[in-house]
Amino acid sequence: MNKKPEFKQVDNKLLTHLNACVKCGLCAESCMFYKTFKEPEYIPASKVALVSSVYRRYNTLSGRLIPGLVGAEEMTDKMAERMVDLLFGACTMCGRCVKHCSVGVDIAYVVRKGREMLAEMGLVPETLQSTVDAAVQTGNNMGIPEDEFIGTIEWMEDELKDELNDQSASIPLNQSNKRVLYTLNPREPKFFPLSISAMAKIFYAAGESWTLSSKYYDVTNYGFFSGNRKEAKTIAVNLHDEVIKLDSSLLVLGECGHGSRANRWEAPNYIGKEYEFDMTTAVELIGNYIRDGRIKLDPSFNSEVVTIHDPCNLVRNGGLLNEIRFVVNSSATNVIEMTPGGNDNFCCGGGGGLLAMSEYNERRIKAGEIKAEQIRKTGAKVVVTPCHNCVDQLTQINHTYKLGVKIKTIAELVADALLLENNLK
Amino acid sequence: MDVYKLVSLIAIAICIAMLLFQLLRLISAGNPVDYSKPSGSIRDGVIYSFTSAMSPFEKESAFMHLPTYVAGIIFHIGTFLSFPVLLTLIIYPKVFIESALLSSLGGVVFSAGAICGLAILIKRIVKKELRSISGADDYISNAVTTVAQALSAFVLLTGGGYPLYYIAFSIFLIWIPIGKTRHLLYFFYARYHLGAFYGRRGTWPVNRNINE
Repeated sequence: MNKKPEFKQVDNKLLTHLNACVKCGLCAESCMFYKTFKEPEYIPASKVALVSSVYRRYNTLSGRLIPGLVGAEEMTDKMAERMVDLLFGACTMCGRCVKHCSVGVDIAYVVRKGREMLAEMGLVPETLQSTVDAAVQTGNNMGIPEDEFIGTIEWMEDELKDELNDQSASIPLNQSNKRVLYTLNPREPKFFPLSISAMAKIFYAAGESWTLSSKYYDVTNYGFFSGNRKEAKTIAVNLHDEVIKLDSSLLVLGECGHGSRANRWEAPNYIGKEYEFDMTTAVELIGNYIRDGRIKLDPSFNSEVVTIHDPCNLVRNGGLLNEIRFVVNSSATNVIEMTPGGNDNFCCGGGGGLLAMSEYNERRIKAGEIKAEQIRKTGAKVVVTPCHNCVDQLTQINHTYKLGVKIKTIAELVADALLLENNLK
Repeated sequence: MDVYKLVSLIAIAICIAMLLFQLLRLISAGNPVDYSKPSGSIRDGVIYSFTSAMSPFEKESAFMHLPTYVAGIIFHIGTFLSFPVLLTLIIYPKVFIESALLSSLGGVVFSAGAICGLAILIKRIVKKELRSISGADDYISNAVTTVAQALSAFVLLTGGGYPLYYIAFSIFLIWIPIGKTRHLLYFFYARYHLGAFYGRRGTWPVNRNINE
């Protein structure tokens, strides 16, 4: 190993979490990877120990003098390989173990700092790095050419006009001085364009002043997952500057868990300043439309049994537990909770950038079995979740574990319950 | 003052000095600057972190492992009480010599603490998954703490064995800032940071009313 591992921004928080774990191992049953595979290495405490042992070896006196006694380890090639496998491939940073930790160690934070250390050493898995590269080079993580995106939006706009029977209905692109700049997960224009028209329908019903950008519409930031803060900053700056350029006053983060988290909670820190404009998630925006009477819903239009999958980055790590329930309960008549749910919900298995790392596909789908069983036990016919990465993973486990459910975003559920003035749905 | 008490006093001084050094390092490292706009209250989150979030009903690490959780609580109560007892035995041992009730009570508490510590140590040795994530520090930290409590119980119940008690306790004190026993300091910071994190984002305190 040529390069010495370095930890950036060693502050009070990092020092605390690197030193607080007592390896009681009681976090094991809170982790979906350990629960699924029963591998001791997957115990969250083991992942914390990996990062803290390397930190201790190079940054503390006891780690240099008596490494064997205090659990300090050299960063060898083998150690690096192990760290990549466990920190990138066996942890989605969902934070479920954090909430249940007997001490209160922010294990997900330590894993993230471990990923940042590995990124500094150029050890990000290639598949994840290529997703980040695409975002940096093209403006979106799937590398969708701008003309292809515009074509998709124009197609969706035509569909919207037909559906609403209103030729003035639109999906505005690159318009300045609109109140809202709306963002998307690139999976939407690529694979799920109907979720774009669902949100457009909600904007139409609310009479919102909004626009999309044809260049920087991507809400995701895989730099958050790779741990490369420089690239995460580049991606964050692109979106920030687009809001300023188009002179919007509200950035609405599309239905993407990590994208919302990366922009709402992390991006100001990547850039190093408070944002000049407000930011909210699609769920909160829709919630406000309902409260303000800007949209009217008839939940009986969604009469099938619906269950909620809580994206970790929006609920446990984003505080939207009640907001999601308010919107879903306003849009459907028969909502049933998963057990455990809400802040205790299990990750679907697709978080932490795992969806982008094909080398872990088998592990990811297997870990998703917990979620599959949770869904099956609810007896729901529809699973609703405000996160496109979750939608992707849930779609795959729906197929693998033969659940026979429909997976919907919140916008799709709300759009189906909309009461429009011209009585068209 | 006999030499064993002196050794203990030196160990206390070293322990405090090393913990103070770590505390000063923590303080000087500073809290991370957060430019995101909060949607909740850090203060309320921190309060929740030290109160309701500590409830055994809120944590799987507690309600799914009740015997271990209870053993851990007793072990920690014993650990915390062993410090003032040590100081009392050094400075004013008459308190225990003259009060059979206090000595017996202390003896029972520390015996229970030591038994629980031993049980946790045995669990670490016996359970494959725990053993595989354990290093020397995990065994040493548990052993020195358990022995300190066992000997605390012994001296209080029998009135003998003081030299061994002072030496064992001194080793425990020296180990506290070196081993994972340093969580004595970091635990409180961990709860603070966790409360601040969840509080700022509005996750804690948990509000179960979906209509708000």
